[in-house]
Amino acid sequence: MLKKLITSVAFSLSALTLALPAYAEYPERSIQAVIPWGAGGATDNVMRSLSPYVEKELGTKLILNNRPGGTAVIGSSYVMQQRPNGYTLLLGAENPQLYPVLGLAKFDYSDFYPVNIIGQNVVVIAANGDSPFNSMADLLAAAKEKPDTLRMGATGAGGLPSTVHAMVNAVGELKVREVTFGGDGPGITALMGKHIDFMPLSLAAAQELVRSGKLKALAVLATEEVPELPGVEPITKALPDIAEYLPWGPFWGAFVHKDTPDDIKKKLVDAYAKAVANEEFQGFLKNYGAQSMNLHGAEAEEFLKRWQSVTAWSMYKAKAIEISPDTVGIPQP
Amino acid sequence: MTDTLSYLLMAWMDPNLLMLTALGTFAGIYIGAIPGLSVTMAVSILVSFTFSWDVNEALALIVGIFIGGVYGGSRSAILINIPGSPSSVATSFDGYPLAKRGEAGQAIGLSTVMSVIGGLCGTLVLACAAPVLGDLALQFAPRDYFLIAAIGLMLVGSLAAGSLAKGIVAVCLGAIVGMVGMDPVTAQGRFTMGQMELMGGIHYVVVMIGLFGVAEALYQLHNLDTAVVKQNVSKVIPPLAMVLRFLPLSLRTSAIGVLVGALPGVGGDIAALMAYDHAKRSVKNPSRPFGEGAYEGLVAPETANSAAVGSAYVPMLTLGMPGDAVTAVIIGALVVHGLNPGPMLMVENPHIFWFTVGNLALANIFLLIFGLMGIKLFAKVVELPKAVLIPLILVLCTVGSYSLNSSMTEVYWMFGFGVLGYFLKAFGFQMGPIILGVILGPLMDTSYRQAMASVGDNPQELLMELISSPVSLVLSAALLLIVLGNTPLYGWLKRKTARASSSPS
Amino acid sequence: MTTPKRVPVGERTFCVLLLIFSLVVLYQAFMISGFSSISSPGAFPLGISAVLLIASLRVLYELRGKPTDGDGWLTSFKRFKHTHFPRHIVVFTLLAVAYLVAIQWVSFYVSTFLFLMAAVVYLRRGKVLSALFASSALVLAIYLLFTLAFSVYLP
Repeated sequence: MLKKLITSVAFSLSALTLALPAYAEYPERSIQAVIPWGAGGATDNVMRSLSPYVEKELGTKLILNNRPGGTAVIGSSYVMQQRPNGYTLLLGAENPQLYPVLGLAKFDYSDFYPVNIIGQNVVVIAANGDSPFNSMADLLAAAKEKPDTLRMGATGAGGLPSTVHAMVNAVGELKVREVTFGGDGPGITALMGKHIDFMPLSLAAAQELVRSGKLKALAVLATEEVPELPGVEPITKALPDIAEYLPWGPFWGAFVHKDTPDDIKKKLVDAYAKAVANEEFQGFLKNYGAQSMNLHGAEAEEFLKRWQSVTAWSMYKAKAIEISPDTVGIPQP
Repeated sequence: MTDTLSYLLMAWMDPNLLMLTALGTFAGIYIGAIPGLSVTMAVSILVSFTFSWDVNEALALIVGIFIGGVYGGSRSAILINIPGSPSSVATSFDGYPLAKRGEAGQAIGLSTVMSVIGGLCGTLVLACAAPVLGDLALQFAPRDYFLIAAIGLMLVGSLAAGSLAKGIVAVCLGAIVGMVGMDPVTAQGRFTMGQMELMGGIHYVVVMIGLFGVAEALYQLHNLDTAVVKQNVSKVIPPLAMVLRFLPLSLRTSAIGVLVGALPGVGGDIAALMAYDHAKRSVKNPSRPFGEGAYEGLVAPETANSAAVGSAYVPMLTLGMPGDAVTAVIIGALVVHGLNPGPMLMVENPHIFWFTVGNLALANIFLLIFGLMGIKLFAKVVELPKAVLIPLILVLCTVGSYSLNSSMTEVYWMFGFGVLGYFLKAFGFQMGPIILGVILGPLMDTSYRQAMASVGDNPQELLMELISSPVSLVLSAALLLIVLGNTPLYGWLKRKTARASSSPS
Repeated sequence: MTTPKRVPVGERTFCVLLLIFSLVVLYQAFMISGFSSISSPGAFPLGISAVLLIASLRVLYELRGKPTDGDGWLTSFKRFKHTHFPRHIVVFTLLAVAYLVAIQWVSFYVSTFLFLMAAVVYLRRGKVLSALFASSALVLAIYLLFTLAFSVYLP
């Protein structure tokens, strides 16, 4: 009996030592990276392409997890609830900056620490390749003729399509039905199947399909033509007044909990800065139609603040939101 | 032509690729068999892991894991009534009863062969009809997804042995559990009662593990001293006659699997459930009553979920749209290797398409080999004394639930559902309909709202669309027939016609 | 022809509880967004809760007139306790709860090992050596599979 007891204790102790955390350097195990959008969308593609480079710099595995829902509220809240030990990252897009004015959540990116603002993208108004519309003007005219009949793909309150829609409505009129999908992926599928009529998308998500003719780009949300889409008119042609909100675009960034220890933050910042600067990844971004930014630290925070104030105030002006931005602490641009 | 052929055979000729496919399939079987370990998670890890490899080698490994994993879930579903992956939920309905009868070996053997048949069908369709299938899949509007989910829910009629009302209660409970959390459109909480933690919802794998695994384990505690059923492992490989007998059914259910798998966003789990439903309705004289070990009940879901693998590649390769969660990750893998999935992929890089076809076929062959190996050993697991098996199952479930999100919350939920499931079982409520509700409820909700929003909240316009679109028309008719078939009206009609035909006129 | 089966003890109570639960659910569903629009977040939940309510009512209806054991409250309760909570199940459940709690406090491997040992020995009433063997084998297998192969780090 004694022998059995000793053997089991010995085994338990050895099992214990196996499990004791080694006081080694960060990162000593794999890191969970939460993507608050569905698989196959632009954010997902960008992050999955970037991760291998980050893994090389950090020396550990990045486990990517999609947690879509509620315009990234679900994924972002989840990261906020985790322990601030640097083992949970948020790989998100621009949406959280609008949470305070949309009333979607009580936090925004100022409650996170920006590890890296990776890049930003151009928005294109896309329609099905066989669509009767050939330009933004066509679309506006059709919507005016039969308000609330055209179907626009959306990704939820605060998602890119809704924001762009609000901007357009601020300077023009585009009354349509909003059909919500879980991300640009499902939205694009519906667009290709002609179940919706148009959808504002980031160039990254739509590029391949525009190139192959399955989708048609009616306009780009810019003041001039963009080199990646020759022949596609800038939206200012049909809506000159929208120029005051531009340049504008969705961005992608990596974030971590604000209370993460400084040395871990530094490691992450360095890793991401190098990974984003990597030539291959830069090539990927270009191929994807995105513009690399690679900001961190104070520059990143400034960028976030500016984006937030420009977008929130323009939406307030467009009467797309009721909460005045200054009541939630967003200064005028 | 020779180019195509060379791409097709690439995986077969190159020893590296051959080995990787074999390794992937083998690992996939065991990943799939362990509840809580998901193929999606494994493939995600692999994408980063294989970043520096050649793209074909990475793809070969991933394909193997995909095929193996979808099949592997059936192992634990049959042996211990815990589906290893959601696509094996339907397999447990007749698989586990077979194990209880001592036929676990035959069950695993049959499910292996059937999975391979389904997988090869899926691959064949991918090879021949990818563009056509892709375009067909695009035709499905939100209202059609709603109809499919509704048809799937009608399975409750078949699953609720005994009281249909109890089955409906179970389905509704499942649907409500599935809807707990943040609303996908407006981001408000539903059924969360102000709790922040519930905003993320309850993971359906946790519910599955709890209801099937833990509840079953607790239930079995009553039978601690019953003798273990000796497993007959003499004839594990199903005789050719049996395979041929089930061929018509397996081809039909493969077709269901192919179609459902090709729909973006809907995958093998729903395909398996619908195939099971189809089998129940179409097979008039099953080898045994369904739910008690009918072979047909094993054939249907296993062919369907494996066929869905091949067809999940269809939207991915033809349009760059993911057919299910795993292909979404594979898209990421392609992007990482510098390829751009999209319609241009087949034009600019046709080799990927043909290579995938050849690779899938190869993986299926390996599935046959590895699947049939070691069955005897596995079947013996059921012969472990219950006193050992039950704590083991609990530990396995715990690990599985934990590994979903590396958090103990899931484990607590699992245990809670286990206790709830135990009592539900004791009082005559089936677990199957609950899972049905959890999987299909949110799909119905989302597609219902998309469909309604598309018609501007105007039900009349929706009805018009249902009649005018051929796909919707077919689906609506099918749904109507199934609903009628469930009601007493049908039984009344049957009796009337029986009387009419038997009475001399 | 078919003898009506006795309703298992406690089933009626359970179904009544179910009915109450479905009322709560219906209320919660209504709280989501009321009757605002046909495509609101609350529309589908309302529908499902309504179906749940009707189905629960139907279940209770089907239970009417079915023979139970016909005992009084206290006897029924005792029988329920005996059927579902015999000693070995209670002990096992307590062990399981202790195990779940222990995972957070002590490391996973240790608590799993202890739990397996305790549960197997208790349920098999002895046979410590084979329990030791089985427990160690399983813990080792889990370690190899999860930590090394799949990088799922257990607490």
